[in-house]
Parts: sequence; structure tokens; C-alpha cells
Amino acid sequence: MKMDKLYIIHLDEQTQLACHKDQTLLENLEAHKVEVHFHCREGFCGACRTKLIEGQVEYITDPLAYIDDDEILPCCCKAKSDLKIKLS
Amino acid sequence: MKYTTFNQQSTNPLAEPMFFGNPVNVARYDQQKHQIFEKLIEKQISFFWRPEEVDVSKDRVDFQKLSEPEKHIFISNLKYQTLLDSVQGRSPNIAFLPIVSLPELETWIETWSFFETIHSRSYTHILRNLFADPSEVFEDIVLNEEIKRRATDISRYYDDLIFATQLWQTQGEGVHQVDGQSYTVNLRELKKKMFLCMNSVNALEAVRFYVSFACTFAFAERELMEGNSKIIRLIARDENLHLSSTQHILNLWAKGKDDPEMAEIAEECREEARDIFLNAVEQEKQWAAYLFQHGSMIGLNKDILCQYVEYIANHRMAAIGMDTPFEVKSNPLPWMNNYLNSDNVQVAPQESEISSYLVGQIDSEVSVDDFGDFDL
Ligand code: FES
Ligand SMILES: [Fe+2]
Ligand SMILES: [Fe+2]
Repeated sequence: MKMDKLYIIHLDEQTQLACHKDQTLLENLEAHKVEVHFHCREGFCGACRTKLIEGQVEYITDPLAYIDDDEILPCCCKAKSDLKIKLS
Repeated sequence: MKYTTFNQQSTNPLAEPMFFGNPVNVARYDQQKHQIFEKLIEKQISFFWRPEEVDVSKDRVDFQKLSEPEKHIFISNLKYQTLLDSVQGRSPNIAFLPIVSLPELETWIETWSFFETIHSRSYTHILRNLFADPSEVFEDIVLNEEIKRRATDISRYYDDLIFATQLWQTQGEGVHQVDGQSYTVNLRELKKKMFLCMNSVNALEAVRFYVSFACTFAFAERELMEGNSKIIRLIARDENLHLSSTQHILNLWAKGKDDPEMAEIAEECREEARDIFLNAVEQEKQWAAYLFQHGSMIGLNKDILCQYVEYIANHRMAAIGMDTPFEVKSNPLPWMNNYLNSDNVQVAPQESEISSYLVGQIDSEVSVDDFGDFDL
């Protein structure tokens, strides 16, 4: 596996997960068996709302659900750098 | 301020608040104060579906196989959902359109309500298939005490806002006597009623369907009533979009991104808004108790259903800046997610019982002969 395909997701002090940048953040978290709430998987229901503490993401679908400035929708974004997030 | 269907004053819709500004005049969508409503309209229209396209005929056989308690669960849920969509198919229009000030929000409200009428039509489609004459089921909706109690709470905030708006638009601010009762009408009071009403609608879209959804999908997990489940998936997808819109409205207000007075009111009525939400949660839990009073169904019981409602409520209260009062941390019904995602919700055209949707296609097939008289 080539390293340039991977980013690191920091969930907390102890937990670091390898993350493929060509999959959505939600798919990555699920691959690591992390429970994330979701419904639509398309950016309009807001169920997957998550705090982004550090890093950058890019959206593959325009997010329609309400999110605060420091929040992201993992179901429709991909990592653009290493991330530090806090799941609700 | 008197309502007018076409306000002839020039207004700047980019500077208007969402509600209680000038009435909308030109329905234009080239520019938007709050772009999100235009995006929600587009998304909602892309979801368009017709109940008749879903084949529910197999459900009739399944229904006969259900136990009596299960029949009670299934039919009661349909009655409750019929009530909810009866209210939602008209009330956003009647309550919000007379006071809306942005063209994109006006059209969103109309689009939203229209989809609620599709939901209502789908219940008739489902029931007609199960009963030769579904009248008894429909008639019970205004007689059944459990449903009436919910109807009171759901329509109350709408009715209050609608009545106050009527007084304000016909008689202006002041104290008005109607049938021996006096009513104080001023803009601040109206805005408060608007805020509480939006919170009540938000709670409706957020939690009021979920006990019923869970039962439907629990039947589907046993491969029962799958036509019905397909319809409910389409409805659930729409409801999630409606919820997104009420969350946006409440947050735009609370964060001072629209009418500054609404930000004050959001602060002032915080507790009342929270009570509205918690009351809806409580009623859903009581609904679960009512459903299972004659016995439960495989895969579900009252306690787990109540936990699920609390789980959903926590998330949805957090989304509008409220606390998360319930203990439950992980999803007690993880299989629900398989029914609530929007993949594979599309109805297959070959499933259709009728083919009238082809009419447009046939009409657009024009042959050269049709232009026989034309010289090209
Ligand atoms: S799952 Fe619906 S917005 Fe992410
Ligand atoms: Fe609906
Ligand atoms: Fe709705």
C-alpha cells in the first residue's frame, strides 16, 4: 500500500486510524469498525455530523444538512490532510 | 400589515428577513438570501415519486398472516402517520406563506407541503390494497383518543400562529376582541408564536415518525409488508430533508444570521422550545406503549423502541443547539440505518402497476408526417 494514499485520523489521544483518501470519511471509519450515526449517506440528513478539530476535508456532494463552522459531514467528504475529529 | 399576493413596492429580497418582512413579489431564484432553501427545493424535486409506482399487492397476503397484536401495530401506525401528513400537507402553507418574505423560502415551503400530500396519498394506496373499504380506518383517526391527544399538540402551535397572523393582517397591532375574548397582537408576540411553532414542526419532523418507521422496518426485516416498507423508506427520505430545513431555520435565527429579534426570542424562549421537543419525545414513547398493549412483535419491544427514540432525540436536539438529556449512547436498532440511507430507495419503473407516466414520452414522439403541411 502506498503511503501517499493514506492520511491519519486522530479520534482521541490513543486512537489513530489510517484513512484512504479516495473513500469518504464515513467509509473509512466504518472500515475500522467505529460506530458513526448515519441515515442518508448523501449529506442532507445531518445524522453523521462530527466535529473537525484539525485538518481539511473536501466535499464530494454539496452538504445540505445544517452544520456549524467547525463541523463536517463524514458521509460526503474525503480527507485532504491528516485529521483530528471528535465523534458525537 | 395586509397581505397582498403581488406586492407592487420594489423590495430587495436579499435584505429581507425570512419572515415578517415585506410580502414576496417576484418569484425569482437567480439570487438568494439563504441559498440553502434553493438547494433543498432542487433536492426535494429530484426525490419525486408516486405511491402508485410501488407494488403493494403482496402485502395483502402478508397482512392476513399477521397476529392480531401485529395488525393493531400496523394499522395504528398508518393512522398516526395519516394524521401527521394531513397536518403537514396544509399547515406550512397556511401558517407560513402569509408571512414569508423570501422567494426561495416561499417556494421551499410549497414544495415541502406538496411532498407531504404525496405521503398522504400513499396511505390511501396502502390501505386500499389491504381493505375493500378503508373508510373505517380513516374515520377512526378523528375518534381514536390516542391519536386525538397527539393531534391537539401538533396543531396547537400552528393554529395559534395562524389566528394571530389573521388578526394582525386584518386589524393591525393592538388588543382585539373576538367572541368575547381579548387578544393582544403585536409583532414581538407574533414572532414568539412563530418561533414556538417552528420548534413544534421541527420536533414533529425529527422524532414523531420514528416509532412507526421502526415497526415498519422490523416487519420488513422479517420479509413482511415489503411494499409498505418501500413506501415508508421514500417517506423517511423526504422527512429527513424537511428536518434539515427546520434545523436551518432555527439555527439561522439563533445565530443571528437572519432577523436579530428572532435571536433574542430564541434565547428568551429556550426552555419553552426544549419542553416542546421533550413533550414530543414523551408522546412517542407513550405511542410505543399503546402499540404494544396487546402484545409485541418479533424483533421489537417497547423498551428498545423507547431507547431508539431517545437516541434519535439526543442527536436532533444537539443539531439545534440543545443539550442531550438522554443516557443512551449507541444505536439500539442499528439495522434501521439500512432502511434510512438513500441508496436503492428508487422505485423500479417495471414495478409500476399503471403506465400513465409514459404519457409524456408518447406525446413527445413526433414523426415527420406530423409536419406534413410545413414547408421546411
Ligand atoms: S448520513 Fe446524512 S448527512 Fe451524513
Ligand atoms: Fe410526511
Ligand atoms: Fe415532513
